[in-house]
Amino acid sequence: MSRLDGPVAFRARGFAARDIPAASVATLVGLVLLWQAAASLGWMSTTFLSDPAAIGRGLWQLARSGELWANLSVSLQRLAIGWTVGTMAGLAVGLAIGLFTVARSPGMAVVAALFPIPKIALVPLFIIWFGIGEGSKLVTLGFGVFFPTIINTVAGIDGVPRALIRMGQAFNLPWRSIVLKIVLPGALPSILAGFRITTSTAIILLVAAEMIGAEKGIGAFVLQAGNLYDIDNLLAGLVVLSLLGLAVSWGLGRLERALLAWR
Amino acid sequence: MTASAIRLTARGIGHAYRDLVVLEGIDLDAAPGEVTVLVGPSGCGKSTLLGILGGLLAPTQGEVRLDGELAPDCLNSVTTVFQDASLLPWRSVAKNVSLVLEDSPLPRAERAARVAEVLAQTGLADFAGAWPRQLSGGMRQRLGIARALAVRPAVLLMDEPLSALDAQSRALLLDDFAALIAGAGVTCVYVTHHLAEAVRLGHTIVVLSRRPGRIRAVLRIDRPIEGRHAEEPALVAMQARLWALIRDDAARAEREIADV
Amino acid sequence: MQIGRRAALALPASAVLAGRPRRAGAGETVRLGLLHTLSPAPFYLAQEHGLWTGEGIGVEFRFFEAALPIAAAAVAGDIDVGVTALTGGFFSLAGKGALQVIGGGLHEQKGVELTAFLVSRQAHAAGLTDISKMPGHSFGLTQYGSSFHYMMGWLAQARGFDIRSVTLRPLQTTGNMAAAVRSGQVDASMAIASVARPLIASGEVKRLGWVGDEVPYQITALFTTRAMIAGRADALRRFCRGYQAGVAEYREAFFHPGSVGGRATESAIAAIEKYVFTSDPDAAAKIREGVGWYDEGAALDTADVRAQLAWFTAQNMVKGPIDAAAIIDTAFLPTR
Ligand SMILES: Nc1ncnc2c1ncn2[C@@H]1O[C@H](COP(=O)(O)OP(=O)(O)OP(=O)(O)O)[C@@H](O)[C@H]1O
Ligand SMILES: [Mg+2]
Repeated sequence: MSRLDGPVAFRARGFAARDIPAASVATLVGLVLLWQAAASLGWMSTTFLSDPAAIGRGLWQLARSGELWANLSVSLQRLAIGWTVGTMAGLAVGLAIGLFTVARSPGMAVVAALFPIPKIALVPLFIIWFGIGEGSKLVTLGFGVFFPTIINTVAGIDGVPRALIRMGQAFNLPWRSIVLKIVLPGALPSILAGFRITTSTAIILLVAAEMIGAEKGIGAFVLQAGNLYDIDNLLAGLVVLSLLGLAVSWGLGRLERALLAWR
Repeated sequence: MTASAIRLTARGIGHAYRDLVVLEGIDLDAAPGEVTVLVGPSGCGKSTLLGILGGLLAPTQGEVRLDGELAPDCLNSVTTVFQDASLLPWRSVAKNVSLVLEDSPLPRAERAARVAEVLAQTGLADFAGAWPRQLSGGMRQRLGIARALAVRPAVLLMDEPLSALDAQSRALLLDDFAALIAGAGVTCVYVTHHLAEAVRLGHTIVVLSRRPGRIRAVLRIDRPIEGRHAEEPALVAMQARLWALIRDDAARAEREIADV
Repeated sequence: MQIGRRAALALPASAVLAGRPRRAGAGETVRLGLLHTLSPAPFYLAQEHGLWTGEGIGVEFRFFEAALPIAAAAVAGDIDVGVTALTGGFFSLAGKGALQVIGGGLHEQKGVELTAFLVSRQAHAAGLTDISKMPGHSFGLTQYGSSFHYMMGWLAQARGFDIRSVTLRPLQTTGNMAAAVRSGQVDASMAIASVARPLIASGEVKRLGWVGDEVPYQITALFTTRAMIAGRADALRRFCRGYQAGVAEYREAFFHPGSVGGRATESAIAAIEKYVFTSDPDAAAKIREGVGWYDEGAALDTADVRAQLAWFTAQNMVKGPIDAAAIIDTAFLPTR
């Protein structure tokens, strides 16, 4: 027998990770400062890894000469069109798979077969099929976005509680209303989570899409800088891609907060 | 405004999920404006039967019919209220109600008026703009009822609408429900495990046997719902009779389920 | 894995050498980075005919898929010498101080049909019948700053038009370049003779000229690292002598009027066949058709290297100023 004498210790610690927005900013800023300090204090050679100040100067020059915008605007346009088309197609197919028995098994079989194909490897074929111009680039982006969108849409639809759909049927709601007011909003969290993946995928694929036949574009710019071992510009281009990713992620966060306020 | 007067009749209903026969030879008459309560041991097929009555499940045998006069303001003759209220979490309280009116030919103003009316009836007027997650369990159930009443149903099917609540909320809500159902004058089929609810609400109480569910007994309480109290000696006696009918079956059903 | 197999082929030669008595530099192994194509053929000859063994060193081949990684590998210390195209990327890396150009490689030469300037049938029919009409047309190349970019730039200069009036289409690989000009996706491009000739013969593309007839151009060059020059100059000298002997055999086999087609040619083809067109029944013909010019003694065209550097700098592809003298070392091999 052992004797107890004392207060009950608090034991429900942990497992409650919280978001601290200031910490994310501070971390990124801190890393950049550390990098700069390492370069300025001579802890690392800047021959093959420029310091943030040099990259910043490079970016500033690119911005002033208009070269940055010339490349960025082309890429933004490609991203916008490619992502939108891929997403729309993915939503349509995902909806069909999620709602119709006839589409489900055949659709999922095709998705399972084609999703793992590296889109980058298809670029040469896309060139032949869709031409060396915008077509192949948009298809590369759209294709990369298409499959994850399908998978997230289907998962979202499957995750809508059956009870809610039965409720809609119990009230004799038309099919269209059940889809628009119950199925789609119910699948929205999963679809939006998919957007986080597909926007990043699109930015990653931008370099692959602009690998062939692109005169302008951030992806082409990064490749060109790499080919020329222009390290300042290479890193400047990557910083632009990274900032683009941050901006998109921030925008999606806002969108989620607006659309999913009910959670 | 005249209420609908619809009689719901089920003849020879049988149902099987694959090889599992759940219902056999069910004949049921739900008289207009009356509450028919279904009781029976767990798993005997009450929810299945209610689904068949509501057109949400196709029976393997038999037929369900509706006969009578439908009021012009009725938007959905047979309406089911589920155990979990099935609220859309992304719609506010008012929008959850308006959901079932949006596809109707009602003019916008009348829709809004109906929403306001049923929310007032169920005591939710102050919560019109709230999200469902902000409601208590009792409020959620009241919202479920409000939404059903908004379509002025001729037949209201309710599957254990109070079972998810704690005993205190249930007791409070039971009287509200009784008033709402009686006030609406609908034909109601009400499934419950709680015999106190059965005697408080039912004009007719149908006792089902354990699976495969057959009708074991039909009890009548020829008194208006309003003014009843579950503690009245007559109702308590009725409750005891019901329990005697179900107890052995229920005990056996419990063992069966545990064996599965 | 082709590369792995080739590397394995190259190994026994160095293994044999391991136990020999040595003078300074003797018995050492030099790691050479090169493309797995016909262009470094003299190196294949030197290896297969034991010309480096005769100099007392072993040479280990490290094969690469593209030109620029060879230079990068030298900077990283994975190879000691490399033979690669002089591209914008190469000059940028060399300008950072690690690399030194020490000898010549493949050279575009008047009369030697090496690189063809091709236009698509459609573009030709529409009036693109001379290189000087390129403005307003598209040109397929591997990458910005590649040797094709330079050649196009040089042709533009020679014909008096601005290269910016040509739409450049980077296509990453020479295979894509040939496919694109064939299908008319680009109006013009370039291809080496062995690829170009069948396309021209079948009428799928039109040839507007041979680059060698227009541009005296040091396409590839031999380079090494500063560390190698500083620490292992003797081994490097031996390597260069073996290379020169390889070039001599190569020139005798393919460019010496008296000996072409004779025993020297046969033995050279047999050696080269071990590296390219392996098990291709037409290997001999393809090699004979595809070989390009190497200057006598593996001489380096320093004037052209300077011109290339100046052009890349003027095009802002190489961030200058880079002093040509600082990246060329003529102490090991002759100049042209
Ligand atoms: N979709 C289904 N598929 C197969 N079997 C089912 C299905 N739904 C119900 N069952 C089975 O049918 C029987 C009757 O189910 P039902 O839900 O109708 O019973 P219940 O009387 O409502 O039970 P409870 O009182 O527990 O709610 C049960 O044994 C159940 O396991
Ligand atoms: Mg049930």
